[in-house]
Amino acid sequence: MRRFRIQTPLGRAVGLGSAKSGFGHWWTERITAAALVLPAIWFAASLIAHSGSDYDTFRRWLREPINTALMVLLLVTLFWHAALGLQVVIEDYVHSVAKIWALIVMRFACFALAAVGIIAALRIALGA
Amino acid sequence: MPRTDAFIVRSSDQVPKHPLLKRFPVPRNFGVTPGSRIERGRTWAAPAGAVRTKAFEIYRYDPDGDDNPRLDTFEVDLDACGPMVLDALIWIKNNVDPTLTFRRSCREGICGSCAMNIDGANWLACTRYIEETGTPAQIYPLANMRIIKDLVPDLTHVLAQYEMIEPWLQATTPAPDRERLQAPEDRAKLDGYYECILCFCCTSGCPSHWWNGDRFLGPAALLQAWRWLTDSRDEAAGERLDLLEDPFRLYRCHTILNCTRTCPKGLNPGKAIAQIKKMIVDRQS
Amino acid sequence: MERMTTKRARPLSPNIQIYRPQLTSVLSIANRITGVALSVFAVVLVIWLAAAASGPAAYSQLQTIIGSWPGQILFLIATFAFFLHLCGGIRHLVWDSVRAFELKQIYASGWAVVLLSAALTVISWLLNLLIAGHS
Ligand code: SF4
Ligand code: SF4
Ligand code: FES
Repeated sequence: MRRFRIQTPLGRAVGLGSAKSGFGHWWTERITAAALVLPAIWFAASLIAHSGSDYDTFRRWLREPINTALMVLLLVTLFWHAALGLQVVIEDYVHSVAKIWALIVMRFACFALAAVGIIAALRIALGA
Repeated sequence: MPRTDAFIVRSSDQVPKHPLLKRFPVPRNFGVTPGSRIERGRTWAAPAGAVRTKAFEIYRYDPDGDDNPRLDTFEVDLDACGPMVLDALIWIKNNVDPTLTFRRSCREGICGSCAMNIDGANWLACTRYIEETGTPAQIYPLANMRIIKDLVPDLTHVLAQYEMIEPWLQATTPAPDRERLQAPEDRAKLDGYYECILCFCCTSGCPSHWWNGDRFLGPAALLQAWRWLTDSRDEAAGERLDLLEDPFRLYRCHTILNCTRTCPKGLNPGKAIAQIKKMIVDRQS
Repeated sequence: MERMTTKRARPLSPNIQIYRPQLTSVLSIANRITGVALSVFAVVLVIWLAAAASGPAAYSQLQTIIGSWPGQILFLIATFAFFLHLCGGIRHLVWDSVRAFELKQIYASGWAVVLLSAALTVISWLLNLLIAGHS
């Protein structure tokens, strides 16, 4: 139910005023997108080339420094970009108090997944 | 050469030849509150003796009753009415149901009053040929608006959003004795923006404004904001950008471009918004 | 100030229920859906790396799952989502630099994104079959 409130149309439109921010999020979403292009194509190409590989081949591949570096780069940019993109999706469609919680959980999940991925990749690469 | 017309839209007045989908595959009442659900209305037959007729499905809402909105069907005598959709509406009002309510004034696409949703897209009733509409022609008010009566939307909020961008020249330099000078090439920068007739076809067709219209300013207000930002005589660009830079006011635009697709004046709100975003980049870096 | 003359709240006119799907809105929602889908597949990537880090047994188990029919279908969807989001994203970056905003260009680039992502999906699967078949 919409709460009944007497307010001028302009007052309603102005709301809480301008946050005077938003550029940072928008810009970083674009920068991470551009930064993703190269590692994403590398990753797709690697999948095409190695999808059926056995464990040792895969390990040897990821141990090559260039591949280790690109995998870490991919994980960082991927989850950074995902966090920014999912933030927009949540803000667009969730209008209840759930919004804040959804944003916190989503961001935390992106952080955690990136961390787990990077640690796993480094463990394979550095041969734990 | 294959005809690309069916796939490539060159100007906003082009009606799709083979629309892949007439509407999105969502339930009719998807997200619709009970009071806004559209019920079946009545059918109004053509007058006796009419030869060439065409059915018009029209959204009706009577604020004085307790009933929900409904969809009436009118059989229009094409030989007795003019060529445009607005002519059909006027014919219905004059000959069939005088309570049918809609806004119109200029009947030549310059006042913006008769903006409505015709066959699923926003356009001016006075510049859309009846011939170009489907069978039946489907006439709804502008999408996502509070409806006062029938095809008359309440524009209070979108007009307040227009007011918010302060659509007037702002300068601290004392006004000159004569007109403010502007180089011809600077004047040319207003082309494509000053022609906006505030019909709100674009804002009403913008999905982002549907979901967040309380905070997102929408393409009409933002195109006007750009019209003042790019005016060489204006001295308030900084304050204007401060007002706009907000996750919702400006950045809720996701470059969907329904606005540019639907503007009946052939303007490009999507491009105007991209230019505002770029201006903010220039200010930051 | 609004005058309260009506007995009931004004109805909201229909939006997505009636608005005609157009290339503009359809590709926009497609970019969004593929973005969300790819986020889910990113989780799979992390699981895959974690499995590989924990040893050959977990790795080969996961390879079997990915090699199964449902796994392959999901993988095909992921490939198409990947290319659509990649091409659509590049289209957006071009727009953000205030280029290609004429309707003709909007439609041409839109169809190009659709055709290119479909083609890239097919090509990458063919290449994959070719390479996997030889090793
Ligand atoms: S930009 Fe076009 S569609 Fe939007 S209000 Fe102005 S004239 Fe109407
Ligand atoms: S380009 Fe922006 S303003 Fe235009 S329809 Fe899309 S989201 Fe709305
Ligand atoms: S009546 Fe003026 S724009 Fe249609």
